[in-house]
Amino acid sequence: MPTEAIDPPGIAWLRVSPKYVTVRLAGWALANLIVLAVLAVPLVLVLSGAWTWPPLWLAAAVPAVMLLLALGRLALIPRQVGSIGYAEREDDLLIRRGIFFQRTLVVPYGRMQYVDIGAGPVERALGLCTLKLHTASAGTSAEIPGLPAGEGARLREQLSARGEARLAGL
Amino acid sequence: MSSCPPAVKPGWPGCDGSAVTEGMPDGAWLRVHPASPFVRGWVALAAIGFFFGRDTFERLLQGGPLIDEQFAGRAPWLLLGGGTLLLLTVAGYILTWYFTRYQVAAGYVRVNTGFLFRQQRQARLDRVQAIDIVQPLLARIFGLAELKFEVADAGESAVRLAYLRMADARQLRATILARAAGVADSPESPEAVEAPEHAVLTVPPSRLAGSLLLSEQSVGVVLGGVASVALSAVTENRAFYLYLIPAALGLVTAYWSMFNKGYNFTAAVSPDGIRLRYGLLDTQAQTLPPGRIQALRVSQPPLWRIFGWYRMQANVAGYGAAGTNGEGSARTTLLPVGTFADVLAMLSLVLPDPGTPDPVRVVTAGLRGLADPAGTPDRDADGGFVTTPRRARLLAPLGWRRNGFVATDTALLIRSGRWWRHLVMVPHQRTQSIALEQGPLARRFRVVDLVLHTTAGPVSPRLVQAGLEEGRALFEAQSARASAARKLQRSEHWLALPPVVEPVETPDLDKLDHRSEPDHRSEPDHRVQPAAKGQSNQKGPHHG
Repeated sequence: MPTEAIDPPGIAWLRVSPKYVTVRLAGWALANLIVLAVLAVPLVLVLSGAWTWPPLWLAAAVPAVMLLLALGRLALIPRQVGSIGYAEREDDLLIRRGIFFQRTLVVPYGRMQYVDIGAGPVERALGLCTLKLHTASAGTSAEIPGLPAGEGARLREQLSARGEARLAGL
Repeated sequence: MSSCPPAVKPGWPGCDGSAVTEGMPDGAWLRVHPASPFVRGWVALAAIGFFFGRDTFERLLQGGPLIDEQFAGRAPWLLLGGGTLLLLTVAGYILTWYFTRYQVAAGYVRVNTGFLFRQQRQARLDRVQAIDIVQPLLARIFGLAELKFEVADAGESAVRLAYLRMADARQLRATILARAAGVADSPESPEAVEAPEHAVLTVPPSRLAGSLLLSEQSVGVVLGGVASVALSAVTENRAFYLYLIPAALGLVTAYWSMFNKGYNFTAAVSPDGIRLRYGLLDTQAQTLPPGRIQALRVSQPPLWRIFGWYRMQANVAGYGAAGTNGEGSARTTLLPVGTFADVLAMLSLVLPDPGTPDPVRVVTAGLRGLADPAGTPDRDADGGFVTTPRRARLLAPLGWRRNGFVATDTALLIRSGRWWRHLVMVPHQRTQSIALEQGPLARRFRVVDLVLHTTAGPVSPRLVQAGLEEGRALFEAQSARASAARKLQRSEHWLALPPVVEPVETPDLDKLDHRSEPDHRSEPDHRVQPAAKGQSNQKGPHHG
């Protein structure tokens, strides 16, 4: 399978902090543990003899498949984090993400309406933050997660300054 | 205005004349028409009347005595209850009316509302995205109208004034537009004259009815009817038809609503922008100042191909994401149903500078064109459209010859759909952001999707399955074009510069050939405008 990137060539991408993998791992663990726990209930009940249906193989197969899928996603997390990148150009900001489903986004500075910085509990513990750009379009959804707090603040100031310089109407 | 209610602080603007003249240089504080709360709240009044009057009314119908023993005991209570409720409602109406005041002055429109919870709102006039004058049936009977002032927040109208006298509403609209355009900003001439306008196209009711009969919905109706007849024949269940009654009622309502909204659709052009008027019982007049269209789509359902009809919808920042319900979708409709000539006429209004020497050919290709089946890049024959590469024809067996794009100097055109034909146009200076997207299957065929983000609305521009190289090149070129176009953007005061549109004379819709004007301007004027006399002095929003 040809793995040609969709990004425009000749861009020096800035990568997000590798510590962001931990944030994603925490999210992964929380979501999957709950799902697995719920799916494992029939297995426990069948094993303890409280339920006669479903058969043991089915009760075991469902959580096993889920576990496999979850492990597959787990293996992808470091690569997914590695695929997130951003680049500040003269007139616009580029953001890319994704391995299988790739997305490269360009947001002209003059189009930015406002910039958000947010941090969840895990991010905050690791000194990371998530930067979000808003334009007049709801479809933009420009997000750079896993920025070190200092870099996030620098980028926000930079974006605001550049946005002001190239301010355009709607 | 003379007496100040005790709840109002002294010096409140509009409470006494002095405060007005001190704070605001011109423009008095005005109230909406006194009858408006009753026109708006007639349902509540009618409900109260119905609730308390029903007893007597039923008695009258049954021919019984008007007052009997049992009723005589209850009557005072009923009267008291009803009277109190009525009095409270009317008092509420009067208070709401009294405390609603508006003013147009110093580049702002201000509205104060609320009796217990005060609200003062001001909106900058040059931020206007659209002004609508709406007349629901009851208001129309009384000669009243509601004025809606839209700014780019994609939500509720920034300012809604319900109701004004029709003449006042039109005067106010003219004043707002004139000041927003930057022509009548002097305090000496506060009363602006309404900009002259010229009708460009109308939709005859017969065509509207025909378009509804041939719409997608009708196909569903016919299929559903056939299915239900077949089912009832097979199951021999005669009562089956009963279940169709609510469905039929719903359909009649839907068709009626579409007919009511689309009836007598008229588009006109004036220096203030495009004027759209429509409605059978409830009428609406929209004014879209120049350059307020963020994206537009021309589409054609399969059955409309018989008569060559098209529909046009647009994203306007102030209107927001319209649902499928009547008003919202009607407001974002630029043309409910029209011929190819109507489409061209409309395009010439919303996109005065198409940025290509032969716009008619490009639009024709965008609406009807198909790429060469052999996949040879003979793009000139196809209006310059770059389509999905032949290698991806398995991914889109029908659409690969249609899916394509062409970029003119001012806009990006994206076409798609073999049966449901769509042509989306996005002006370069209206693009908010651009994304390239690719999934695993698309990567195997080396194609990408390109998404243009615009403000909320019915149009969501997406170029599907463009070749990787073409898509990447377009992504780069488009972001460069978008920033270049934005740098050339004009002032918000669209008439403070050389006039955008002079009142045009009769547009001759028969002559659709593009005119290469031997004009005095340095830059050739390329527009979709159907050739018409007296347009040579019409300046498009050229940059400079």
